[in-house]
Amino acid sequence: MNSNTRGRSRIRGAAMWLLLLELRTPLITLIITYSISVLGLVLIPGVTPEGVVYHLSFLDAFYLVSYTATTIGFGEIPHPFTPSQKLWMLFVMYSTVIAWLYSIGSVLAVLSDPAFRHLRSYQRSVSRIHGIKYPYWIVCGYGGAGSQLIRFLDQSGIRCVMIDSNVTRADSARLSDLSYELDILVGDVAEPQTLVDAGVQRALCRGMLALTDQDQVNLTVATNTRILAPRVPVYARSATDANTRNLRSFDTEVVVDPFRVAARSVTQLIRKPNAFALYHELVDPDLNQIEVVDIPASGHWIICATGRMAETMVEAFVREQIPFCLVSSKAPGSQGDWSWIQGVGTEAQTLREARISEAVGLVAATNDDGDNLSILLTAQAENSKLITVARRNKPTSEPVFGQGHFNYVLREGRIIAQEMYARITTPLLHQFLGQLEIMPEALVDGIIEKLNVRLSGERPELAHFDLTLDGDEAPGVIPFLQTAMAPKLGDLLVDPGLDHPSMPLICLLLVRLNGDLVPFPGDGLQLEEGDRLLLWGAMGAHHRLHFLVRREDLFETVLSTRR
Amino acid sequence: MNTQRVWFAFFIVLALTLNFGFFVGEIDNPHHHNPYEFFFALVVSLIATVLKIGDRSHLGAVLLATSLVADLQLIAAAVMWGYATQVTGEVSVGVMASVVSLAGGAMLANVTSVVLLIAETIQLKR
Repeated sequence: MNSNTRGRSRIRGAAMWLLLLELRTPLITLIITYSISVLGLVLIPGVTPEGVVYHLSFLDAFYLVSYTATTIGFGEIPHPFTPSQKLWMLFVMYSTVIAWLYSIGSVLAVLSDPAFRHLRSYQRSVSRIHGIKYPYWIVCGYGGAGSQLIRFLDQSGIRCVMIDSNVTRADSARLSDLSYELDILVGDVAEPQTLVDAGVQRALCRGMLALTDQDQVNLTVATNTRILAPRVPVYARSATDANTRNLRSFDTEVVVDPFRVAARSVTQLIRKPNAFALYHELVDPDLNQIEVVDIPASGHWIICATGRMAETMVEAFVREQIPFCLVSSKAPGSQGDWSWIQGVGTEAQTLREARISEAVGLVAATNDDGDNLSILLTAQAENSKLITVARRNKPTSEPVFGQGHFNYVLREGRIIAQEMYARITTPLLHQFLGQLEIMPEALVDGIIEKLNVRLSGERPELAHFDLTLDGDEAPGVIPFLQTAMAPKLGDLLVDPGLDHPSMPLICLLLVRLNGDLVPFPGDGLQLEEGDRLLLWGAMGAHHRLHFLVRREDLFETVLSTRR
Repeated sequence: MNTQRVWFAFFIVLALTLNFGFFVGEIDNPHHHNPYEFFFALVVSLIATVLKIGDRSHLGAVLLATSLVADLQLIAAAVMWGYATQVTGEVSVGVMASVVSLAGGAMLANVTSVVLLIAETIQLKR
């Protein structure tokens, strides 16, 4: 604690001290020229128009020098000057005006010095961050993932503090359209002091998100946070397996490897399209519809990728036993019962070698956006029924990928943001996603079907939220839990309006107080105090549910009239 | 020998000596207190203040504080004296006594400054 406050005051006073140090010489010059000028004026005798000899008072002299130095020049007071006074005034004029301009110039030079301005804006950010009254997450790196995640979290009412070393990126962060003013610190995240300045040691800090595109930097952020603030969870991006293992070795809470997630997403899309659609609706606040892609069961896939993307894709496809053919300019590291074709895939000839006409789908995942688009367009010309998966590398290429009619676009930043968002917003969602991974596809289909029945043919925007059955969140339900009325899950999903129709909501997961998980519970499940529910359905339905669980009389009517 | 340290000590000690020179004499007798000496005491005190800026140690902070106290006292005395001469037109015995006592206060601050300077110098290991 002690060292913390000292560190902060060091930063806070620095700009002021820098200014004063720079001003030492100009100030002394100014004092000396002023005093010599004043003294001279007082010592040199003047003559009144009546011919009486007099001396200027210190007040008159100081007044005269002040207006001369600042080039205001009120004139000769209190009487016209004698030649000797005029001679001295000549000296006064040139010396004080020069000293004055020199001092003012020094002040302006210091104030407009880029380093000084950076220091001052840094200090302002630090003091603003340390005055924040609400909980916040610290985001390191405002790249694709950082900007997307900050926006996602804002939609859930979670605020962030951003650190980036790049001034241009920080400026673009300032322009981002958020519901609050984002606090931005321009500094090197690899330095521990930057993390302290960003408020990692404050009680209100909820977590550290290391999202820079350099593994080494993310690793440094994670280790520094572990030591500076052991209670703060660290979520890190990692692009290699070695780095992932390294991060996990000191219990980094969440490590997201965009390559592995991308490969998993693509195989999930092929093998479990329903789970894929449900997963993306839940983890992406921008997707509010269930869109299931119809994938033909048989046929092979073509993967155009290089480097680590090719490795992880091949690994995932082999694991899921999806037949495929790899198009890559370099020979792959591993071999198996799949074929490799040398080339980029931008030429029709290469794709024909990979039997494009018989293929089900194509994954264009090279690390060049131009190549990916070229591959996709060539492939679509060769086989119009092809399922297309595109990889977008640069956020600036978004317009073409967004309009390109591809079945699925892999965006690295968005993938990372989705993964982390699911873990940050509600722990229930994360638990459900774990269940979703191992859930059979038929059951997921059943979940979507059940919601569709409840939505009765409409296609509203979808959202999920959680509810805890305790005195705070559901005071209307608690009194009935131990009685003979025995409220069931189905009683909650009832619209408190006329005739009690069912609400367009379903329960995805129920967690008992003792930690037992009930995935996709039926309507007949008995409720207990302390249950936590993950509900999913039409956006806005949660207002009606919250209304119901708060009103004891309303819930009693629902219970007594249930069918 | 460090030139900067010489100037530093020179101005701090000079501020005290000039201040003392102005202060000695009958407290309410204008003839015992030279306005030029007062002028120099004020100027030197201001320079000493500027020289003390920038030392961020604890001792530096205290030195700066004593200097600021001396400046404040001397400027108050100057304003009082100037007001009596220029606006009221006469320097009464009471005004003179106030001016000199304010300067006396400034002298105490300057004494503290010099004592701290000496204490620091003695602590220095050769």
